[in-house]
Amino acid sequence: MEPNSASYVPGSCPTRPEPEETGLEFLQFRDEIQRLMTVPPENASSFRALLELPATQAMQLLHSSPHSAAGGGDEHKRHSSSSFTNGNLTFPSNKALIERAAKFSVFAAAAEISPETSSVPSNSSANSDKVKTEPAETDSNPGSSNKTQTQKLAKRKERQKKGKESAKKSKNESREDAEKLPYVHVRARRGQATDSHSLAERARREKINARMKLLQELVPGCSKISGTALVLDEIINHVQSLQRQVELLSMRLAAVNPRIDFNFDSVFATEGGPLIDGNIPSMVSPLMWPENPFTENRQNFQQQWNFDAVHQPLWGREEENHTFITPENSLFSYDSSANSASLHSNQLKMEL
Amino acid sequence: MNSKRFSPTSSTIKSRFTRRFLRALLKINRQRTRTPSSPMEICQRYLKVKLAADVSMASTVGSRRAWSRAMLTKIRHGVRAGSTTSLTMRKRKIYHGKKSTKEVGIVGNAKMLRKLVPGGEAMDTCSLLDETFHYIKCLSTQVKVMTRIADQICST
Repeated sequence: MEPNSASYVPGSCPTRPEPEETGLEFLQFRDEIQRLMTVPPENASSFRALLELPATQAMQLLHSSPHSAAGGGDEHKRHSSSSFTNGNLTFPSNKALIERAAKFSVFAAAAEISPETSSVPSNSSANSDKVKTEPAETDSNPGSSNKTQTQKLAKRKERQKKGKESAKKSKNESREDAEKLPYVHVRARRGQATDSHSLAERARREKINARMKLLQELVPGCSKISGTALVLDEIINHVQSLQRQVELLSMRLAAVNPRIDFNFDSVFATEGGPLIDGNIPSMVSPLMWPENPFTENRQNFQQQWNFDAVHQPLWGREEENHTFITPENSLFSYDSSANSASLHSNQLKMEL
Repeated sequence: MNSKRFSPTSSTIKSRFTRRFLRALLKINRQRTRTPSSPMEICQRYLKVKLAADVSMASTVGSRRAWSRAMLTKIRHGVRAGSTTSLTMRKRKIYHGKKSTKEVGIVGNAKMLRKLVPGGEAMDTCSLLDETFHYIKCLSTQVKVMTRIADQICST
């Protein structure tokens, strides 16, 4: 078996998916490996057993399981299973590799099927230092197959081109990540730093950039600006201007109304239609929403309204008018809750 | 036809805010004395209106957002502190805010943003941007509603 595995080592490389086909291949791989993984815990148990078995028996088991799992004659299946077996065949060349691969396979299978991986990572973590001593080719195959398995479980979905140099490091790092956090699996970009810190930072930065894009769309005039600092400047200006506008409006509202005579009607209606003139209402029906009728009364009053506080004495005189009560009636009847409307109007009628 | 519009089934932030704010405005105006308003009175009423706007906005949003929760707790504590001092404190805050726009860089801007958005001090940058987004949306609805109310009142 060993010589076979040795001969497979150079042959395993071509079976590895080329970086250009990453997307499609990985999709296929993913589907296939998902199918593989749905094979029940015999995988897990067999891989767990692998850890104690010597290399040859382990390899036999590994041979048998994917063959049984692969099943049909689908091209992709064959391809995936062959790559899987290729990966498996390279395992016996290094025991640490077996155990690591086993851990990942167990990880992949067990994470979905049975929670038995706790012992596994601890076992393989001891061997993680052996990772770096291995040849690149043997790394690549099991790495790719394991990676595609774990990627499915991964909550991070970044997939980028993988350079050969960064591939090894990213695999090492992703394995270390897997030991700590099973769901963080990020494929490193070509030529980019791949330690876990920079990966996490890159993820964080991308989250922030996504949110900045949303903010840019929200704030008018921000989409043309490039550069985070300037966009943030614009956002800050916008927030400040909005807050100042609120202050100005509240000042205006405080100054203008001696007494607010709203037209809740029109406030909502301007979302739809304009004010409608109508005849004078009856005060008798508090529960009804007097749609048109009050507007004329109100308009009479509104004509006397001014923004200045100077003109408010005019209002003071008007208040003695009995019609002063009417708008308040209408006002209270415009209250959004019918209960309070009836209450208030009843009270007013009592006062009258 | 219009009565349908008043049905409480409409539940956008805009409509809920409008309702609460108008109710609050009614309350404030009921408190108003019949004497001609002195500037001091107007000033106090302005503060009340502003507070009402903030409170109604924050309570419309509810506890779903960190900024609304922070705003509500600040208001509750602020009421105890007394409203007379709040104006001067607010002025100080405004001036201080203007000065710190000179801070450079993304970090400086983030700090500035934290001061603006209620509750922004205790957030990491990522969620700060989230809250800012929602805050800007709510502020703009607030401004729209208040402009409409003011126009309605002041229009002939």
